[in-house]
Amino acid sequence: MITKKTLPEMIAELRTNENIAYWHEMEPQEARTRPFPEDVDPRIRSALQRRGIAELYTHQESAYRMAARGENIVAVTPTASGKTLCYNLPVLQAIAKDDTSRALYLFPTKALAQDQMSELNEIIQEMGIDIKSYTYDGDTSPAIRQLVRKAGHIVITNPDMLHSAILPHHTKWVSLFENLKYIVIDELHTYRGVFGSHVANVIRRLKRICRFYGSNPVFICTSATIANPKELAEQLTGSPMRLVDDNGAPRGRKHFVFYNPPIVNVPLNIRKSSTVEVNQLAKQFLKNKIQTIVFARSRVRVEIILSHIQELVKNELGPKSIRGYRGGYLPKQRREIEKGLRDGDILGVVSTNALELGVDIGQLQVCVMTGYPGSIASTWQQAGRAGRRHGEALIVMVASSTPIDQYIVQNPDYFFERSPEQARINPENLIILVDHLRCASYELPFKVDEEFGPLDVTDILEYLQEERVLHRNGDTFYWAAQSFPASEISLRSASQENVVIVDQSNVAAVKIIGEMDRFSAMTLLHDEAIYLHQGVQYQVEKLDWENKKAYVREVDVEYYTDANLAVNLKVLEIDRTRDRGHAAVHFGEVSVNMIPTIFKKIKMTTFENIGSGPIHLPEEELHTSAAWLELKEVDPELGTKALEQLLLGIANVLQHIVPVMVMCDRSDVHVTPQIKAAHTGLPTVFIHDHYPGGIGLAEDVYKRFDEVKEAAANLIRRCPCKDGCPSCIGNEFESLDAKSKSIQLLSSM
Amino acid sequence: MSSIRDKLNRLKGTSGRTETSAPPSNGEAGGSGQPSAGQAKDPAAEEREAQESTRPSSGLPAPSAPSEPPAAIGRSTRSIRVDNSLHPAFLKLGISEQRNAYGEFLLRRIEYPLDHRHGHYALGELLHYAPYLEPIARRQNKARLGAGAAEKAAALSKKKPSAKDLYRLPRPETAEESENPSATGARRLLFLDTETTGLGVGAGNVPFMIGFACYEEERGSLFVEQTLIRHPGEEKAMLHYLLGRMGGRTHLVTFNGRTFDWPVLVNRFILNGWRPSGAEPFHLDFLHPSRALWRNTLESCRLSRIEGDRLGIRRHEDVPGSLAPELYMRYLNDGDASHLEGVYLHNELDVLTLVTLSTHFGALLASDPEDETALPEAAEELYRTAAWLELHGEQGKAERLFAELIGRSDASAERWLLPAADRFKKQGRYEQAVELWVRAARKAETAAFPAVAAHVELAMHYEHRCRDYRLALEYAERALELIQRLPGSGRESPKRREEREALLHRLERLRRKSRTL
Repeated sequence: MITKKTLPEMIAELRTNENIAYWHEMEPQEARTRPFPEDVDPRIRSALQRRGIAELYTHQESAYRMAARGENIVAVTPTASGKTLCYNLPVLQAIAKDDTSRALYLFPTKALAQDQMSELNEIIQEMGIDIKSYTYDGDTSPAIRQLVRKAGHIVITNPDMLHSAILPHHTKWVSLFENLKYIVIDELHTYRGVFGSHVANVIRRLKRICRFYGSNPVFICTSATIANPKELAEQLTGSPMRLVDDNGAPRGRKHFVFYNPPIVNVPLNIRKSSTVEVNQLAKQFLKNKIQTIVFARSRVRVEIILSHIQELVKNELGPKSIRGYRGGYLPKQRREIEKGLRDGDILGVVSTNALELGVDIGQLQVCVMTGYPGSIASTWQQAGRAGRRHGEALIVMVASSTPIDQYIVQNPDYFFERSPEQARINPENLIILVDHLRCASYELPFKVDEEFGPLDVTDILEYLQEERVLHRNGDTFYWAAQSFPASEISLRSASQENVVIVDQSNVAAVKIIGEMDRFSAMTLLHDEAIYLHQGVQYQVEKLDWENKKAYVREVDVEYYTDANLAVNLKVLEIDRTRDRGHAAVHFGEVSVNMIPTIFKKIKMTTFENIGSGPIHLPEEELHTSAAWLELKEVDPELGTKALEQLLLGIANVLQHIVPVMVMCDRSDVHVTPQIKAAHTGLPTVFIHDHYPGGIGLAEDVYKRFDEVKEAAANLIRRCPCKDGCPSCIGNEFESLDAKSKSIQLLSSM
Repeated sequence: MSSIRDKLNRLKGTSGRTETSAPPSNGEAGGSGQPSAGQAKDPAAEEREAQESTRPSSGLPAPSAPSEPPAAIGRSTRSIRVDNSLHPAFLKLGISEQRNAYGEFLLRRIEYPLDHRHGHYALGELLHYAPYLEPIARRQNKARLGAGAAEKAAALSKKKPSAKDLYRLPRPETAEESENPSATGARRLLFLDTETTGLGVGAGNVPFMIGFACYEEERGSLFVEQTLIRHPGEEKAMLHYLLGRMGGRTHLVTFNGRTFDWPVLVNRFILNGWRPSGAEPFHLDFLHPSRALWRNTLESCRLSRIEGDRLGIRRHEDVPGSLAPELYMRYLNDGDASHLEGVYLHNELDVLTLVTLSTHFGALLASDPEDETALPEAAEELYRTAAWLELHGEQGKAERLFAELIGRSDASAERWLLPAADRFKKQGRYEQAVELWVRAARKAETAAFPAVAAHVELAMHYEHRCRDYRLALEYAERALELIQRLPGSGRESPKRREEREALLHRLERLRRKSRTL
């Protein structure tokens, strides 16, 4: 029998690996603590002492003092630093002091809410004070709901539930809203982009209702490390914030390693697939029984890696000790996996960024990332999954061939020394704002001079009045439609309708195995697509677009599918322009038409293209905001063909750079080059928000255009390839000197 | 940079929703050219309008319909104060403006003499039958009548009322009644039906019209009152008036009011600054009793269906209640009160029907065993009525209905033999149960798709209670025969397989037992 290697042994071994591009070691940190503040209820203090908490970490103590003084705070803490006490302590103290006090906790997901309730209830039990905390979500039974509404001291819920169930029925929550002392927003950094913009409006509605019932609650937010926690918290809550960032939690030694797969094709600078490398690395750790988490960027990638490393446990009976985890799995399945990780029954997990969030899965020893997660903040979040208070932890980021991955690996300072990205929201997105004004006026009549964010909303209210959604009487707008607006508005995606995935492998027991938003479904659930779920392959037999159902059947094939999306752009309006002689940068509104065209079948082992087929789906239209750069004068010697390729190359680079610069998901922003833009006939590159009305991403690109441009040029300049490779501008060039021409073109803008 | 308005119009095309509550139009050409600016008329609304115009716009019913006289409506309308500034349509309905500390609203008040008939009953009959409704009230208000409820109520009535306190349990009027908070004397009832601007019980659903009725015995009449708000600003005054009228009334009589009308009103009280005092009126909600009786024998348990099929009420040119929100919105938009005539009359009839429905249930609970007329024809309804009576403590009456059901020999009655037998079994009246099982078994043996439940029951009965294993075996064997005789489609349903396996198991045991005997 082979003896198992320990983690330190494996770390030592890894140091000699020739593919290591950079090794960063983080020193352990001692705890910094302060004694409990005097006024903390002795019952709370002794309960915490029994749980081994004799003193507070510095950040916990600061949070308590500020919140107790009535200041809104945002606490920035890394994973596993005892952040929950930052809000639990002031909340429990308020209720211990006055039994009528109430608190509302918001978590981005149901899973986090469940975790929090069990943790909270343990402390409450030890305290011996009758404090009732309940989760309130879609799973709460009607009998309990009434109890929660009347008697819950702490109501734990999510923004979606607040939006669609609590606020429109606020009259049933009188005792909560009249006595609300604290509103806790955990995982603040997740509220960005479209979702964050919606949530900011939900909080405006919440504050409105609190005002109606005469309460003025204090906000306590916690966030992972981002560049602008205070700004985001202020934008989200519309209240001034104090930042708490004096983290005093201890931490063990951490090794953060950049791993660059070897080059297999020198002239084209093509590297070995990161997925293959991750498979091998993860297998080594798992074979030695070291608890490991593998992150992959897409759902498909998760399933591909899972199917490879599950080889290790194919002989295990019953539930496997290596599992997948991602959105689309049913809640019960996810709870089971989380528990398995905490208890150690599950040794390995392959996950999308779904596990970046504070879901309690304990602390693992090794974290392997398949490619750069796309943002500095996200990378640190994932890295935080590995690391215990004592003992060593290892984080390996395996770079892929994409431009940004290569850029990061070759410029480690960019990652380790740069402050993380900004989280952006745009609560003033007109579509989102109008939606929430409808909900708000359903909840309470609107006075003409009433504020709802920084924008004067009278125009919108009058518009809704003309649409007969509101009725104006004197200085007040009243809801006047028969509908229930909150049910028509989803906080999570552009479209309310998700596509339900129906497994009909067993005709007698057809079941629903997951769901997917409409836009993703266009490219992932088309007819004949291979859809992977928990490592099992399914083929889509029929996508019923009208009824939003995809019928799948289990298959066993050697390939996966990858779909192409054709995009057509029209400029509707130019809001702002920066003219630079040869070129101009614009910001404005565009309409985008998308239609999926074909899909390719790609062999799993070699990643070669082994076939293709058409996709027949209707076109989707999107009106959104965009930034675009147009070239008014181009060197005529360049030729159309070459110019087109250069534009494609630059678009490729921008598609990678922009999400990093503005901190959003890759799919939130799209880059489309056009050799002859419809409105001018000029060569143009569009960068647009992938959400109706836009959420401020393109606007940010417009504002910071020089920065974006410089980063793109740098990336091309520093790529080690000779004259274009998939890691920068692509490699389908006929003309020579594509790289320097691209840089030239960029700097002329 | 374009205005917010322009942007709104442009974005409308992509938001995936229309801004009105009407279903999205399907005729719009999407995509090409400039998006429509929103002035295009919603086709659905147009269609509704077209339907409207073919309907007589005046809601006033024809004066003397031969059988049922809704013509009586308004005949004794007593106007409190004629206000010439009101829209003629309001004046025509005898409506006047009311004023109180919180402002104005409109009130229509109609006095009905007690001999006025609405359907099968005269309005005065409820004076006699109302006390018999008490078992329903007890059942529906169990939670508030339980142990400690009396003390709680007493504590509440002692508590100094605060300005924010909402409704408190009205003080019972006589000593006798105070001992029994659930007594349902006619003068303690308030019949209530609201017309709202939308569906559901969210904070944005507004009751624009509240119709209610009370008996005023001194005058020997029933008063129907209907309040209307001409705009949302009048709501508080209207609610205040309603609260006043609720004084002295302990029970709200409604159709689905427990989960709809009342919660919607509570929302409005809260939104207007009142807070629940903890005391609530009791409910007499006839939706559930109606469902208990007529779930399957009526096409639906909507009030209009019950009226026509069970209460002898015919409506003429009634505006359906579902159109009320639309009509009110039209009134809000153009101020033309004639839109509302139909709504007024519809609501008035609804309130009167609540009286008739109460009378019907009261009469059912009060019926004396000799009364033959009240017996339902359909066997299912007979069974359900009997079961319902039993649930409300009327064993004697239930017994007679069950006897009647068992006495019938038509096929539809025989379907209820098994449930009736089941009831006997639960009561320990095995002899009667066996009698029904035997009948059911006999029927099963001649049926094309026989059910074996009766045989199985008999087999169980003889095995466990009589220990007559031979007889039990005989029934079990016959049951198996029946199952095998069933026309099969090749594959057995899981349920039937389970049934067959259980039977085989039973047979085996019985064979063993009868051998060892």
